[in-house]
Amino acid sequence: ASGLGRRLRAWLPRIVPVRWSRYNPSYLEPEVKKESHQKPLEELTLEEREQMELKAVRPIKAAPPSLSSSVFSDPMISKFTNMMMKSGNKVLARSLMSQTLEAIKRKQLEKYHKAPENEKETIECNPYVIFHQALKNCQPIIGLSNITKGGKTYQVPVPLTDNRKRFLAMKWLITECRENKHRRTLMPEKLSQELLLAFNNEGPVIKRKHVLHKMAEANRAYAHFRWW
Amino acid sequence: QLDRGCALPTAARAGLSSVSSQDVPAEKPRAIFHTSESDPAKHTEQHEGRLYNIPLEEVKAVFPHGLPHRFQQQIQTFNEARVMVRKPALEILAYLKGSNFAHPAVRYVIYGERGTGKTMTLCHVVHYCSRQGWLVLHVPDAHLWVKNCKELFQSSYNKDRLDQPLQASVWLKNFKTSNERFLEEIKTQKKYIWGKRESTEEGRPLREVVEQGLARVRSASDAVGVVLRELKQQSHRGSFRLLVAVDGVNALWGRTTLSKEDKSPVSPEELTLVHNLRKMLMNDWNGGAIVTTLSQTGSLFKPSSAYTPQQLLGKEGFDALDPFVPIPVPNYSPREFESCYGYYLERKWLQHEKAHTEDGKAELQFLSGSNPRQLDRLAGPL
Repeated sequence: ASGLGRRLRAWLPRIVPVRWSRYNPSYLEPEVKKESHQKPLEELTLEEREQMELKAVRPIKAAPPSLSSSVFSDPMISKFTNMMMKSGNKVLARSLMSQTLEAIKRKQLEKYHKAPENEKETIECNPYVIFHQALKNCQPIIGLSNITKGGKTYQVPVPLTDNRKRFLAMKWLITECRENKHRRTLMPEKLSQELLLAFNNEGPVIKRKHVLHKMAEANRAYAHFRWW
Repeated sequence: QLDRGCALPTAARAGLSSVSSQDVPAEKPRAIFHTSESDPAKHTEQHEGRLYNIPLEEVKAVFPHGLPHRFQQQIQTFNEARVMVRKPALEILAYLKGSNFAHPAVRYVIYGERGTGKTMTLCHVVHYCSRQGWLVLHVPDAHLWVKNCKELFQSSYNKDRLDQPLQASVWLKNFKTSNERFLEEIKTQKKYIWGKRESTEEGRPLREVVEQGLARVRSASDAVGVVLRELKQQSHRGSFRLLVAVDGVNALWGRTTLSKEDKSPVSPEELTLVHNLRKMLMNDWNGGAIVTTLSQTGSLFKPSSAYTPQQLLGKEGFDALDPFVPIPVPNYSPREFESCYGYYLERKWLQHEKAHTEDGKAELQFLSGSNPRQLDRLAGPL
């Protein structure tokens, strides 16, 4: 059992599976990027040459359907689309995402064309840049966790991992759009509005992040309850 | 001849401005895929693959209805209306220029697969005809008349037929916006009685018939019928040229999703609007032309792979429209694709940084299959 663990640790994959993977540890990850396959032999370093020889003998895992070789694919956008998806309807979630990006682009382009010359550089029209920046602005720095000590539960300030921060930002955005808006507005419209507000550090999601930070600051006294 | 196949922005802008200098203004070299020729009458083979500009006031006057929804959104975002000059449109314009108007009206049917640009070709032709001073009878989508009708009344003129007041009044309003001056000049040739106290005398301008239809929504379908009849009878005189432009003409000979009060299905000939439009599409009048488009997108009970006239019109429609000139509309040629891609880059529509690279362009071409609609849908989120 320990030998298996050592072998498993030596093969540390790029993408860590969330659940237990049923693959034999000898299976390698698929390489999707076109550039890495088109490099001529001389440019490869020693490690890369060894890796190539290993790939000739070892079996390769099946590529998951969310992994794409398109130049336009973005892992954050895919994660967000998966979180928006309901009951496995990826087609609908993806179309909503593309309509959201298009809506953001249209709003920004209209603002861009109406603005005077000196302000044109300040207006950001790229929906991907806006999306990433908005998510970054929504990520909390510190979180709260429930710790029970002596029969009472305390909200203890706790550091968050990168994955958890990203998850919380996306979750807050989606719940904000789903619950606190008018019933008849469509998701792309709501989402594009929220993303633009978050990009400018305004809006209800940023407020929620600030509320969380204030709670953590208020509960500073309990920080020593954390043992990890 | 200049090789527009490999149109790269940086090299071309410098080199090709000298060749097509009469098109491209010298002070601000717009890229080679634009042309400053905004009169469709002057469009020739040389302008093929290029985009020409329609001033926004003209768009509001000539196209109160009729432009596809995505194109209207594009006009609003880019603040300009740019239409690509393509081979099928140039073909129809050449036929129209050389046609003899003493002969019966020739019917042109534009067909093609989904999203290849049939409606935009029709709009190009409509723009040309309105620039030439023709009277344009533009039905934006005949499918809207055979489905989703909330109010169906029995026609007072003929007991068997059914009226559609909403659709008729909407169409009359847009017809009025696009053909203001003709409505004054054309006079009615018969007395029309609308109800107990309302009638239009002989010799009154057609504008009164249209306003009667708009004011009394119940008789709007009959007003449409009167307008069509008058135009057909007076077109041979030669005082004006008539263009009948119908989009989605296969709706007139298909099935409808409407039903009467006793739940029995309605066939298209029982609708007044469809009946009158069918009479208009017969080639027993002269002094104009009929340009129509087939469309599977809004059609009822037709498979999505159907695009040829035989499949979409059915036997009845094909026999009614026979003889016609078929005009196929293909996907973008490589030159047209370059032109469209360059236009999106120039208007900053393609914002993704990878979209500016050769790899991105090749991927867009592959994913869309050079289909204009797919390219538009793909370039939206990028």
